[in-house]
Amino acid sequence: MTIAVTDPAGAPRRVARGDPSLRARRIAGFGLLSPALGLMVAMLALPIGALVLLSFWTQDGFAIDRTLTLANYARLVAWSDEATVWFGIPFHLAYPVPAILMIKSLVMSLVATVAVIALAFPMACFMAFRVTRHKALWIIVLTIPFWTSYLLRVFSWKIVLGFNGAINSGLIALGVIDKPLEFLLYNPSAVVLTLAHSWVAFAVLPIYVSLEKIDRSLLEAAADLGDSRWQRFRRIILPLAAPGTIAAALLVFIPTVGDYVTPALVGGPGGTMIGSLVQQLFLKQNDAPLGAAVSIAMMAIIALLVVIFLWAIGYGRMRERRR
Amino acid sequence: MQRIKFIDRMAQGKLSRRQMMQSAGAFGVGALILPPRARAAEVLTCLEWGGYDDATYFQAYVDKHGSAPNFSIFAGEEDALAKVLAGFAADVMHPCNYSVGRFVSAGVAEPLDTARLSHWNDIFPALQVAEGVLENGDIVMAPADWGNSSIAYRPDLVDEAFKADPSWSIFFDEAYKGRVSMLDNELVIIIGEMVAGKSYDDVYDMSGEALAAAAKEWGTKGLDMSRFLWTDASELQQGLASGEIVAAYAWNDLIKNLRADGVAVEYARPKEGFFTWFCGLTLLNTGKADKALAYDFIDAWLSPETGKALIEDSGYGHANQKSFEIADPAEVAAMGITDPEAMMASSIVFRNPTDAVQEEQNKVWGDLKALKY
Amino acid sequence: MLRRPDLLTLYAILFVLFLYGPVLLMPLFSLNDSTFATFPLKGLTFRHYADMAQNAPMMAALRNSLVIASVVTLASTALAIPAALALTRFRLPGAAPIVSFMMLPLVIPSIVIAVALLVVILKFLGLALSLWTVAAGHVLICLPFCLTVLMSRLEGFDPSLEEASNDLGCTPWQTFRRLTLPLAMPGVISSLLLGFIISFDEFVIAFFLTGTENTLPVYLFSQLRFPNKLPGTLALGSLILVGSAVLVILAEVIRKRGVQSDNAGDI
Repeated sequence: MTIAVTDPAGAPRRVARGDPSLRARRIAGFGLLSPALGLMVAMLALPIGALVLLSFWTQDGFAIDRTLTLANYARLVAWSDEATVWFGIPFHLAYPVPAILMIKSLVMSLVATVAVIALAFPMACFMAFRVTRHKALWIIVLTIPFWTSYLLRVFSWKIVLGFNGAINSGLIALGVIDKPLEFLLYNPSAVVLTLAHSWVAFAVLPIYVSLEKIDRSLLEAAADLGDSRWQRFRRIILPLAAPGTIAAALLVFIPTVGDYVTPALVGGPGGTMIGSLVQQLFLKQNDAPLGAAVSIAMMAIIALLVVIFLWAIGYGRMRERRR
Repeated sequence: MQRIKFIDRMAQGKLSRRQMMQSAGAFGVGALILPPRARAAEVLTCLEWGGYDDATYFQAYVDKHGSAPNFSIFAGEEDALAKVLAGFAADVMHPCNYSVGRFVSAGVAEPLDTARLSHWNDIFPALQVAEGVLENGDIVMAPADWGNSSIAYRPDLVDEAFKADPSWSIFFDEAYKGRVSMLDNELVIIIGEMVAGKSYDDVYDMSGEALAAAAKEWGTKGLDMSRFLWTDASELQQGLASGEIVAAYAWNDLIKNLRADGVAVEYARPKEGFFTWFCGLTLLNTGKADKALAYDFIDAWLSPETGKALIEDSGYGHANQKSFEIADPAEVAAMGITDPEAMMASSIVFRNPTDAVQEEQNKVWGDLKALKY
Repeated sequence: MLRRPDLLTLYAILFVLFLYGPVLLMPLFSLNDSTFATFPLKGLTFRHYADMAQNAPMMAALRNSLVIASVVTLASTALAIPAALALTRFRLPGAAPIVSFMMLPLVIPSIVIAVALLVVILKFLGLALSLWTVAAGHVLICLPFCLTVLMSRLEGFDPSLEEASNDLGCTPWQTFRRLTLPLAMPGVISSLLLGFIISFDEFVIAFFLTGTENTLPVYLFSQLRFPNKLPGTLALGSLILVGSAVLVILAEVIRKRGVQSDNAGDI
């Protein structure tokens, strides 16, 4: 789940090992890091420790049985000869719900992330290369819609996509259709659209930030040497923007896997996600230990996927080259 | 404005150090305006639904003590219970008859001494002993607001057969697929069994094999037919107003609201029966304030004046019989209630299965939804 | 290379329309004389604004949210700047696992963080819940975002600039203030804005960690039970939208006027 890997081995060493100035730098570095790191350790260590411990306990009515056991994890993977078929895939699990929801959430989140990056990248390019003055103004303009509260924005999307909403009323007024289209709202594509809208600013900003520092003289030199626009984009902009874009993609992908509010609001009856399961287990179904096990399994799966993804695209090498 | 100017100028690199320090100072002042840590315990703390924290509903308390209690508002009872169990010190909570049992089982509810409530004897007798008020011989909730759950429909958009003989079967009817909306609740399964001819009392605490079979048959069907499963009344009202859905499980305030806006809507009396729910005030043993304050607050909620305000503002009923005498008769009629007592007797009052069964039903319903794509 | 009126500019216009299209329906329906936000429009009214103005708890919630979001974003950015510097400039051993750890709040479902923090605050620390506890929870979830943005800005700058600055006799603080901070500025602004909108919009943690005062999202969620209050909340959304747009324009006008006098104190 490493979003930005610093790779000391890849960098040329300017100072010899054991050099006192290196040690001083390290001490200074940790000094700078310590307020943020200290705060996070203080605020996360206890909750995470509690979560891990909880996942090895079991619920007994309103009491917790504190005998350490792997029962919760075992339930997540217990084999069953009878398969539950979901989307044509047979799940040979006694309790297939977490596995199915995990896959559903990952797919939904992946599609939304791809949509967000596709929407955000050209906009970030525009801000980095076309806007020459008032850049801060543009950044603020992009974030203003997000000051209006999440619920109200989701609600706005319902007005756009709804039965007597903006799209349907517009199309009827134009005579294109005579009955409202019902497939606009309460389905997975409405979820993807709403998620994309909610998160796009979170992606534009990191991408813009990494494009912004590309040395303009590189682009000019390439142009002078006869590179076409497309070549300049592919050979210079894309490789240099990649780390920021990947960071943006992960910033969107990771939290949306656990999001359950948007799918519940615009996804219709099928809008249950892994996050909803965790919430249900913690609150309604009164099985916090199983909820903790599901959360940890979910975190582990996301982390694994992120590591595989970064490894597959050679993220470490890419960053090395940029130094 | 200062903030944006500040950011913009920082961006332009046009901010001197002194200006930056001044601005930072201003933010520091902003931080000081943040209220200090919650004051020590004497103030009554109530866990309340958002919107019910309005002084109209406990005017007598304000008159007596000079100020309103502190409120921590919630949107769902489970969230509130989780907060209490984690150690949040609340004195009074506003659960409903179907959820109060969980507060009792969790050991945070304290029995009420009705002798300390001056309005207790005016409460509808049926409510005084209803399941959820009386648990194991203790009064654990003072009933306050109540209402119905039935089918709201658009008479212009449903067919004559339904209007002539309304039935919950509309939620399982292929002909209405995508045009109805059920509450997002395991009740869908129970209602399905009622459509199949069973009585509520026989099926409300279904579990095990029977529940699984019912879920497979009725739960799946109910899930497939609903346009969306509603969780908040705003969403539902919008859907009925636009004609996106033609019939829905609804509370009676919806009828009042939609009619006030000129939307034709009727409240059915389905042949399988319709429901009554009620909510009330529960004393919690986690609080730090004087119990007398809590009793004053609960008593204020039970007063007929509060009932009048509730009936006239929200379209919900009130537990105090006298409130119907002083409320605007037109408003009472608009609720669809002519004789509250008769209505309560003719409806099905929701019952509480045991915690384990409730959790099982919730799990079955949750799993069913999870398998839908 | 950037002369032609191009697709990119066209795209930017479409993008802004996509961002603003749905939210601009808020002002439209906040002026519509109906409780329901559906077409056709019914007529002009200001009653929803009157409802909103009278809704004291909602206005209090708005104020709380504004204060918390400002404090949170400043605190998170202030914590993230040195951390990002340390992680990108100082070749610390174990930097990779540290970064991974600091990204953890992104992966933990918010309900889990919320309940866990609640138990820690009430049972272990014995603190009372207040807006401060909400702010603390928000700093935790904002830090990964701020850190990511700042690190992607700080990475890859030529370290020789800073070395040169040091060689020329600047103290580390002077180097930071005159060189690093201005270079990092787009990242700092992005970080401030991201932190603000995350905190301003966050519901789950705010719900669990707040005492008897509400933030705006907590208040709005609780209002969903009362459909008649909806237009009032739309009015509030519109006001925030219009208000922030006006502020941005005003700030721009003031900045332009003040350009001359500001130059004296340039960083």
